[in-house]
Amino acid sequence: MLEIVIFGAVTSAIYAMLAVGFTLIFGVARILNLAHGSFYALGAYGAYVLTSIAGLPLVVATPLVVLGVALFGMGVERVLIRPMRKSQLAVLMISLAVALVVEQALFLIFGSEYRNVPSFVDTKLNIGGVDVAGQRLLTLVVAVAAIGALYAFIQRTRLGSAILAISQDPEAAQYMGIPSDRIFGVVMALSAGLAALAGIMAGPFLSVQPSMHLLPIVKAFAIVVVGGLGSIPGSIVAALMLGYAETLVAYGISTSWTEIVSVAATLLMLVLRPAGFFGKRAAF
Amino acid sequence: MFGHPISKRAFTQAAAAIAASAAMLPVMAQQAPIKIGLTTAVQLQVGRDTQDAARIAIDEVNAKGGVLGRKLSFVVADETENPETGINAIKKLTADEKVDVIVGGYTSGVTLAQLPHITSAKTIYLGVGAASPAITAKVKQDYETNKYIFRVGPINAAHQARSLTEWISGHLLGELGLKRIAIIGENAKWVQDLVPILRKGATEAGADVRFVELFDTSTSDFSPLLSKIRSSEAQFLVVILSHASSDVFAKQWYDARFPIPYGGIDVKSMDNDFFNRVGGKSISQLAANFAVRAPLTPKTQPFFDEFKKRTGRVPVYTAFGTYDAIHAYAQAVERAKSTDTNTVIKELEKTSMVGIAGQIEFDETHDVKAGGKFMNMLFVQWQANGERAVIWPKALRSGTMIMPPWLSK
Repeated sequence: MLEIVIFGAVTSAIYAMLAVGFTLIFGVARILNLAHGSFYALGAYGAYVLTSIAGLPLVVATPLVVLGVALFGMGVERVLIRPMRKSQLAVLMISLAVALVVEQALFLIFGSEYRNVPSFVDTKLNIGGVDVAGQRLLTLVVAVAAIGALYAFIQRTRLGSAILAISQDPEAAQYMGIPSDRIFGVVMALSAGLAALAGIMAGPFLSVQPSMHLLPIVKAFAIVVVGGLGSIPGSIVAALMLGYAETLVAYGISTSWTEIVSVAATLLMLVLRPAGFFGKRAAF
Repeated sequence: MFGHPISKRAFTQAAAAIAASAAMLPVMAQQAPIKIGLTTAVQLQVGRDTQDAARIAIDEVNAKGGVLGRKLSFVVADETENPETGINAIKKLTADEKVDVIVGGYTSGVTLAQLPHITSAKTIYLGVGAASPAITAKVKQDYETNKYIFRVGPINAAHQARSLTEWISGHLLGELGLKRIAIIGENAKWVQDLVPILRKGATEAGADVRFVELFDTSTSDFSPLLSKIRSSEAQFLVVILSHASSDVFAKQWYDARFPIPYGGIDVKSMDNDFFNRVGGKSISQLAANFAVRAPLTPKTQPFFDEFKKRTGRVPVYTAFGTYDAIHAYAQAVERAKSTDTNTVIKELEKTSMVGIAGQIEFDETHDVKAGGKFMNMLFVQWQANGERAVIWPKALRSGTMIMPPWLSK
């Protein structure tokens, strides 16, 4: 029982880190960013390059990689997405193209083999008889801290208020003098940085290979559909639901059934309540 | 260009030129090299090794003057892991390149899709990567149609299942006295086929199979599975992994300091750098392999050294197969004194040569023979610093079995 609580929490935390960024950029800029998983992949590969090849300690590499990927996200928004923002379909296509280009670039540079990202902590903890890898618990802590910080940033700072204003009414916000283009860049950077952080934290115990961007985008998509596209509390609740549902299925039924949970949840939600639990209106 | 129809005269001249060059072809072909077509997944290590091993074998044959006075050469077609692309690769090799023989393969699904196209092109095919027994079973079903198909390596999945059972009964039960085992594998066709055979064989050998489960190939979190295995009180965990999950599994097994040692078929763990790719977390894992740098035959160590010298890598199983396949073909052509397909097939059937992993002979289904002096499945353990030791079969043992560091204290 305790195992389900702990492992479910870790899975949910990773999902939440991925989904919050994904939903944020949609909620604010109406960008359905299919390249979100690529930020996660670049985070993991960045950590691999800086630690294994450049020989930097992971503590130093992490902020560098998060910053680098955030800048990359900003660049993608500025150069590729901004000129096409008028058409959601064009944005969808260009973000898909970015995802494929990143994947192919990783293939060319690193080959198809798995790479190893070192762990921050290499100890095993025992909580009430359950063996948990230290890295997993740390991931849980980092995820809670990062999402908490993001939430505080949006709620408490001037820039955060501007982000909120745009997400609520972009036109009115612009009339108030909020520079929406610059805000979009900031939000894209936040979203990309958060995904990169997830990649660095999960890299040591999940797979690091060129097509690793696929799974996160599928999960993030399922979560925001369930939680309501654009709603941060919604995606946190949905991440918890999905994380625990998968863990329960793995314990109760079989590990071969876990991957169908997210797909089934997406379908069910789209049929029953297209706006998601917390969404104000259907996003599609 | 459509505005200017070709004049009748120009057309006649062109036609005459083409006809003349076509007439000259047979004359030139006698001097032309024997062309080997390689079909493989070029992005993967199995594919890179196929090509590098082919280069080594071809250089060796050519250094001795080639075959029947003709040099060997090769062309490559990428079959990826997708049946459609695989069929196109065969079409490219047979129709465009008109190769004399095809060597390659990796994914059984792709090879099975390619078979009809290979046989209708009446080109000899020497498989070096796919293990499904269904591939060579076709030869028995309809010899006349499918006689072009041979498998030089690896030993087929049925032989692999038998080797696994022998290892469980001989090593795990016999030597280590580990009676309670758990079996897990990824949910793929060949694993679904293999696991029931394995379970039955292990039970008959006296093992107490406590837990069997297949997991989805995209599973990213093994904690629930590991904890179920733990509560089954198994003493050894047998795994069947091929494509997706080896690295994640090794990492999570190690990170949890899982109290049960593991081993079995793990295709990724055959790679020499697997240990480094998972940050050393596969320590003590036993992984089945077809050859490692050990004196299995007089050819094993020289081949490993030559491969390492040329590429800086350690070869995987497709390399052994390709190297042996090209030598087997060259010898068959030499004996047949021609490249005529039917004559060469008859000679290939008589093949008996020393290969890299064992003696190479074909059974009546054109499948490579396994066990004893032929190719075996070796159980190789990852030890400190990424060294590897053959643990089973006992006759080939090259080191002592270790336990995971957290269990040996």
